[in-house]
Amino acid sequence: MLLGIFSSTLVGAILAGWSCGLVGAFVVRLNLSSLGFTMSHAAFAGAALGLLLDWDPLLLASLFSLAVAGALGPAAERAKLEPNVIIGITFPLTMALGLIFLRFAPGTALSSTALGLLWGSVLGVTEMELLELAFLSGAMVVLIALFFKEFLAILLDMKLAREAGLNPRPFYYAILFLTGMTVALSLKLIGGLLVFALMINPAATAFQFLHDMKKIILFSPLIGAGAAALGLLGSFAFDLPVGSAIALVSTAGFGLAVALSPKRRRG
Amino acid sequence: MGTPVIELRGVTTIYEGERIPAIHEIDLVVERGEFLALIGPNGVGKTTLLETINGLLDHKAGAVRLFGLDVRREGHRLRRRIGYIPQAVSFPELTPFLVRDVVLMARFGRIGLIHRPRAADYRAVERALELVGSAALARRPIGKLSGGQQQKVMLARAMAKEPELLLLDEPFSNLDFVAREEIASTIVRLHEELGLTTLIVLHDLKGLPPCCQRVVLMRAGRIFRDGCPDEVLDPLILAAAYQ
Ligand SMILES: Nc1ncnc2c1ncn2[C@@H]1O[C@H](COP(=O)(O)OP(=O)(O)O)[C@@H](O)[C@H]1O
Ligand SMILES: [Mg+2]
Repeated sequence: MLLGIFSSTLVGAILAGWSCGLVGAFVVRLNLSSLGFTMSHAAFAGAALGLLLDWDPLLLASLFSLAVAGALGPAAERAKLEPNVIIGITFPLTMALGLIFLRFAPGTALSSTALGLLWGSVLGVTEMELLELAFLSGAMVVLIALFFKEFLAILLDMKLAREAGLNPRPFYYAILFLTGMTVALSLKLIGGLLVFALMINPAATAFQFLHDMKKIILFSPLIGAGAAALGLLGSFAFDLPVGSAIALVSTAGFGLAVALSPKRRRG
Repeated sequence: MGTPVIELRGVTTIYEGERIPAIHEIDLVVERGEFLALIGPNGVGKTTLLETINGLLDHKAGAVRLFGLDVRREGHRLRRRIGYIPQAVSFPELTPFLVRDVVLMARFGRIGLIHRPRAADYRAVERALELVGSAALARRPIGKLSGGQQQKVMLARAMAKEPELLLLDEPFSNLDFVAREEIASTIVRLHEELGLTTLIVLHDLKGLPPCCQRVVLMRAGRIFRDGCPDEVLDPLILAAAYQ
């Protein structure tokens, strides 16, 4: 390892927080929370299957997460998702599958690596995974910068985007794809149960303070990176699971934002 | 008279999952510079017809041509030249977009992939907002405006495209008398000064401006009458359509 375990985990946490915060701005605005929730647990089940079969957990996590995007994306695009039904059905299903896979995974049965898939672990993150996360973050920034107009237009309204003469569909699916990849690549560090918090909280925090989607897209990843870094420090300082610490910090940030938000004040 | 702005031949549109067409075998030709009102009771297919014209809805049969081009093939490009106000647009209070961005976004299609908005685009936005008397609202979040103010912004949004055709779907609904008069006079002025071809859907007949030379009355998904206001707005005909 070139970097020490602490600094490499810190870099990983910042990258994960950054990319989760960035896709989170889109997920929150497009009402895709139930989809993100489902993706993160499917990614957990996928990674667990990876341990069982001794395949690359990351690959299977990505595939599972993207399969959710593919299966539910068309319904989400037409605003025909029933979030309660989807969460009610998929959460137990993915959890049950994931735990069964872990139960039969050779040697690792409920070992720390396996449990890390649920609530995150600083131990499992390899340099290769850091590179992948860095590549994803960079690619997302480039993609969103290049097609900023198109992404912005679908964040206002899909129909108005079409009306303006754009073809929003590829950009909509690009968001789903990037969300799936972000979930899968953040899984080891943050954990399948908690990666969702890192996706929703920073964006929800930014929405409390800002009236302009352009600024929300700018600040949400910064808040995500900050929450992830702080959470990691907290997890080292108080010996907490890293995903839990990050989830707590990001939730606390959101709570603070609600309390202080100018949007709540009247007048 | 040159190529018609709108030309529909035997157009039928069926919503996904439905068996009965929302509009049947519509024939409609609109020439450049016409001001046409589309009227008829609720659910008769006025909105469907408008969205079939600009290609937001795909038609199942017939042909839709705008400026002589097939909307099925050229939809994206055509919509960049058409100002459209959808029915009953209303942005929730916390919508995180500023008025000037909502208006600017109407030009995103014509600006083209990857390109950024230029000075000319920002100028078109400014002009459009001035046109509807809403320049002062440019930096406000859209959701914080009243219904009438939002409707004016939607008109500015349509005008920011510098359109060759204006499609307006009940632009006066939910407006108080004053706002309604303001928007109506702006629409009439645009038509008179720029010769803009305008198709306006009205759900009641009070808003019919004097410059309107042609009224199309729909009944049950079909065109029931198409003619000058005096002919179509005959009480007997209206009674038959609105029974
Ligand atoms: N999304 C939809 N799916 C199925 N049917 C629809 C949809 N939208 C409208 N309709 C039906 O199409 C018909 C025409 O509707 P519409 O064009 O909105 O009428 P209008 O604008 O004249 O009130 C109605 O019977 C309506 O129920
Ligand atoms: Mg209608």
